[in-house]
Amino acid sequence: MSMPELVRVTIDEKDVHVAKGTGLVETALSAGIEIPVFCYEPRLGAPIGACRMCLVEIEGMPKLQAGCTLTAQDGMVVRTARTSSKAAEGQNATLEFILVNHPLDCPVCDKGGECPLQDLTFRYGPGKTRMNFEKTTFEKPIPISPAISLDRERCILCYRCTRFSEAVSEDGQLVARNRGAMSVITTFEDEPYSGPFTGNVTELCPVGALLPTQYRFEARPWEIVDVPTVCGMCPVGCNTHATVREGKVKRVISRNHPEIDEGWLCDKGRFAFTHLRAADRVVEPIHRVRRRGFEPVSWPEALDVAESLLKAADGRAVVALSGSETVEEAYALAKLMRQGLGSHHAVLPEEVSAGLDAYRLPLSAIGDAQTVVVLGDVPLNESAPIVDLWVRAARRKGATIVQTADDPAVSSTERVVLIWSGPGGRGGARVGELAERLGLAGKDGCGAFYIPATPNGRGVADAWAACSDEEPAREPDSIGLLVVSGDEAAGNPNVRALAERAEAVIVISMFHGLAAGWADLVLPGTSYLERDGTYVNLEGRLQRLRQTATPPGPTELEWISQLAARFHVEIPPYASAVFAELSKRCYGGLSFGEVGERAPLRGYVEAPVHVEVPPVPEPAEEPPSGTGLHLVAYKPLFSGPAVERVPELQFQRPQAEIELSPDDARTRGIANGDRVVVSAGGVSVELRARVSKDLRAGVARVALEHSGGLLGNVEVAPAGAGVTA
Amino acid sequence: MSLVTEIQEIAAQYPQSRSAIMPALHLAQKKYGWLPREAFEEVGEALGLTPAYCMSVASFYDMYHLEPVGTHIVEVCTNISCALVGAQATLEAFERELGIRPGETTADGEVTLRTVECYGGCGWGPVVAVDQRYHEPVKPEDVPRLVQDLRNA
Amino acid sequence: MPEHHVVLAGAEERPLTAIADYRAAGGYAQLAKARQMEPQQVIQELLDSNLRGRGGAFFATGRKASFIPRDSAKPVYLTVNADESEPGTFKDREIMLRVPHRLIEGCLITAHAIHSKNVFIYIRGEYLAEFEILRAALDEARAADLFDGVTVVLHRGAGAYICGEETGLLESLEGKRGQPRSKPPFPAISGLYASPTLINNVETVATVPKVLELGAAEYAKIGPPDSTGTRVFSLSGNVARGGNYELVNGTTLRELIYDFGGGIPDGRELKAIIPGGSSTPILTASEVDTPLDYDALTKAGTMFGSGAIIAIDDRCCMVQLGLRVAQFYMHESCGKCTPCRVGTRWMVQILHALEDGSAKQGDLDLLLDVCDRILGKCLCPLGDAAAMPVASYVNRFRKEFQEHIDHGACPYGGASSLEHVFAPVDQHHHSPVAAEVPV
Repeated sequence: MSMPELVRVTIDEKDVHVAKGTGLVETALSAGIEIPVFCYEPRLGAPIGACRMCLVEIEGMPKLQAGCTLTAQDGMVVRTARTSSKAAEGQNATLEFILVNHPLDCPVCDKGGECPLQDLTFRYGPGKTRMNFEKTTFEKPIPISPAISLDRERCILCYRCTRFSEAVSEDGQLVARNRGAMSVITTFEDEPYSGPFTGNVTELCPVGALLPTQYRFEARPWEIVDVPTVCGMCPVGCNTHATVREGKVKRVISRNHPEIDEGWLCDKGRFAFTHLRAADRVVEPIHRVRRRGFEPVSWPEALDVAESLLKAADGRAVVALSGSETVEEAYALAKLMRQGLGSHHAVLPEEVSAGLDAYRLPLSAIGDAQTVVVLGDVPLNESAPIVDLWVRAARRKGATIVQTADDPAVSSTERVVLIWSGPGGRGGARVGELAERLGLAGKDGCGAFYIPATPNGRGVADAWAACSDEEPAREPDSIGLLVVSGDEAAGNPNVRALAERAEAVIVISMFHGLAAGWADLVLPGTSYLERDGTYVNLEGRLQRLRQTATPPGPTELEWISQLAARFHVEIPPYASAVFAELSKRCYGGLSFGEVGERAPLRGYVEAPVHVEVPPVPEPAEEPPSGTGLHLVAYKPLFSGPAVERVPELQFQRPQAEIELSPDDARTRGIANGDRVVVSAGGVSVELRARVSKDLRAGVARVALEHSGGLLGNVEVAPAGAGVTA
Repeated sequence: MSLVTEIQEIAAQYPQSRSAIMPALHLAQKKYGWLPREAFEEVGEALGLTPAYCMSVASFYDMYHLEPVGTHIVEVCTNISCALVGAQATLEAFERELGIRPGETTADGEVTLRTVECYGGCGWGPVVAVDQRYHEPVKPEDVPRLVQDLRNA
Repeated sequence: MPEHHVVLAGAEERPLTAIADYRAAGGYAQLAKARQMEPQQVIQELLDSNLRGRGGAFFATGRKASFIPRDSAKPVYLTVNADESEPGTFKDREIMLRVPHRLIEGCLITAHAIHSKNVFIYIRGEYLAEFEILRAALDEARAADLFDGVTVVLHRGAGAYICGEETGLLESLEGKRGQPRSKPPFPAISGLYASPTLINNVETVATVPKVLELGAAEYAKIGPPDSTGTRVFSLSGNVARGGNYELVNGTTLRELIYDFGGGIPDGRELKAIIPGGSSTPILTASEVDTPLDYDALTKAGTMFGSGAIIAIDDRCCMVQLGLRVAQFYMHESCGKCTPCRVGTRWMVQILHALEDGSAKQGDLDLLLDVCDRILGKCLCPLGDAAAMPVASYVNRFRKEFQEHIDHGACPYGGASSLEHVFAPVDQHHHSPVAAEVPV
């Protein structure tokens, strides 16, 4: 790529050289000069120049200009409020106007103390008001969803939220109504603002108009610490801050990693954190005592029980992992089992493959691609929502988006990105093979992604593989002890089936609902927000998690360390030390400190050898036959143990509906919203039809929880057909 | 022809179908008399837009009714040219004759009265539009007859 | 001096709505002629004629056309602004009613000049009769095979003054809320569908065939050099004979109001004149000899605007006038930029207080300061359009404004012609939510 043309811009008598076309706000910033803004937000598309906060004087232009709408041109002479009384007067006027109707309820506003309007008023605004009339009043706050409240009196109509809804998430739900002074932000017919990304508007809002309901009156800015960490809710690993007050997480906000999330965060990552305080949280170990049922025990007692159960298993122990363990935690567990007990069999959460490692790219490369090929039929916004945003960004920039099941035809000169989102991908091996067939290796801007099922499946597999050179063992004929690590494993029917055959079961879980009834010993689990350690995301990027909140008891790593000592296995109780040990084996000896706050995509130096066979079998892909449709039952974004425990997310749970392609709907005489019967092998469920343009013909799609167990080939017909009244 | 099909035919005139939203809303309003929820859903379906978007656009323009209105609409221009020549007296004559205030609809649902900004009949004011047809000028003494005509219509 | 018909020529006896009548009057001959000319030649004619835009900004028509890139990879659009909404203005309506084919001919010539194959005519929604006439005329012209591969789409607005602003119009035409765009980019480079777009007013476009017919040189001889040609002046307010009068630019306000308009009726005295639509600063009766041309009006501290003259007699309270004008702009503010959205409402509040006698000493300066803080700081000209006239009322009639404060009441004691005028902004508007915005 050629070097961009540099131009000289003079700002407040200071010369700066920037690439031609750089925004004036950024140009000024490079000179250390602030051009204050409200509506300007480059991530929302072209600037709109609405709020008029950024007024500056440009030599040769008679009127003040909205600085945010201008770009650097050679010889441009700019005066901001620092050196131009006209610009200062303009900015002062803007703030006076904004404050005309803005209520002075800062003391009870959750934004107070971290509010751009407060800050800019302090720096550029009038000291007192000349407005003696009644301010605009509205009913307040009103919910625009259970998760977000809207205070229309505070709204300064910068249109950031509506632009996000229209041009980023493209959901088109949050809009302005009416005109002029009567304009308000609203949804259609007061329906809740729903979708994977709604919460972002609470961060975009430069005032306290759109606020998360969970955070209402929870903390003041001087009482909180924003702890940098990484989201553990899906394989993307968005960078986040957990806002912590007195050891408790009060909210989760984005922490812009330009290669991963661009500062966006999905609602699951943002709002699901209150599962930490779930009513059925397991806070102490529980031991099943014959005839007496379940009773809480102390940690030393619990470790005694665990020790005896492990010993009794005598090498016939099996660990079922969730894929949400940190690399360190998985390594510790693996070391205990494999080195301490000689039990080499694990049920890994999903298949992983190193086959993709030659095609690694940052997620942001999707946004720069010219062709994006999406394989598989699980919607990206359900499996890895940020990836969906990148695909939308690419489409807006003119990329071709191809949804296919076959080998796509792509141009050899284009930047091509492949994304596999669906079953049958063999941990990324298949999309890696496709990338090879298409000759994408080593080509600039070309690469491939596989959307795994779990947030850290790769890291867990790495850890399990790294701690022993022994070949992974076959499943023992009889299972002496099944150790179920984490809630996803605990909720997995295959794991439950294994437990039926086990002589004893230890479950590590956060919730009674998942642990109760089938475990001989329940050990309290922790959340990704309560642990130190690392995750490997879907890009193959190693990222750092931090303990943001105090868990109710010791973390997994802490008690595994103690338990391992009883088997003469040395495991430090600190993630940093564990990482130091395993890093030599899988991550090129990288030190914990080097993982970084905004981790770079390093790729694998030498990928550890992984288990070959996926122990949790996936349903086989079968092509649709006859009049049938291939039913894809996917795990929705808003599902799982954490989401189930967050009241503010219940309205986001999937509807009982089946998605059909327009073609398939038409040939069956089904219209959007019709009731349909989905059946196969004598089993049937009734669902509402949703005709979806982005679905391939021959495929039907349903959220797992509404699938009625159906999968593969199904018949879909209008409900009531053949039924007489 | 269904509203959706009709809209899609209009949309074909434009390089981008979204441009057809205004004619589409005009059509939908003709069908329903105002723009209820279903109108936005149908317009949205026809043009690939969300109902919220359609509502947002409609609410920007004065001629779209987001609330039910009467069978007939009487609009009195009260902008300066008309006001200088007695638009307020004309408006008040309508208020008396219909027994309602501007912005209201008669109890029988027949007539909505409202004031409007300049209708571009300034030289012949006061301008009154009855069901979008201009009457220029309308003096207070003309009002009873106009209302009678409406009631008989 | 009689009327000088250029744009309205031939329609004196009856409207030239039928294509046969228009053709009989020489119509569409200039189109044929223009199509024989190189596009650049047509633009040159416009440049030489010194025709300037009749919408309100008075920008040189030929120059504007020459901004359209000749080698655009994207389609080039011509958009005709028929969203006439400036209070006091009803001239485009007259043109569409009387000479619709002249407008169409002007469209096709202009399209040829800028290599455009797509014309959009954006007509305000309230002009239903005009819409129907124009639609019929377009059908006739299409049937007469005059389009030559050009498509002309007649697009109805739906009631929003701001769509008369060119970028607001484009947004509206693209199917969005009609909120103006920040410029740059200018429409000539990135307008409709981000393509090069020329946006011209109805009267401007309808003048184009006459420029070709007369020849640029002859056309330029009509009127003063800075304001060549004629304008269809809309006369309204307190005059005996309101209506449209097509006159040579440079005709004085006195001639228009007294000779053509028949003077001030009811034995009243002229008090003030709005010379170019409600957004232009006001003139006092003593300035009635000001010529209606660009330079003279600019020198008088006001603007040529849309050529809409509103005569105001001595029954009118200037505070009430200010209030009613401010109410209009508050109602029509699109809500996008802060100073206009908030400032127009604040102006209305202050003017209300002045009128009901509750204003304090200092409120006049506050009003002027609010106007000043709107002026030149908004995204589009609407804010200025509110601030300029209202500030001019205060400046020209300060004594009358001051009396409202000093006496705690309107000196007209209820007898003003604009007493208690009920503005749409006081009406329930679209949703119950808006009802909660008190003024």
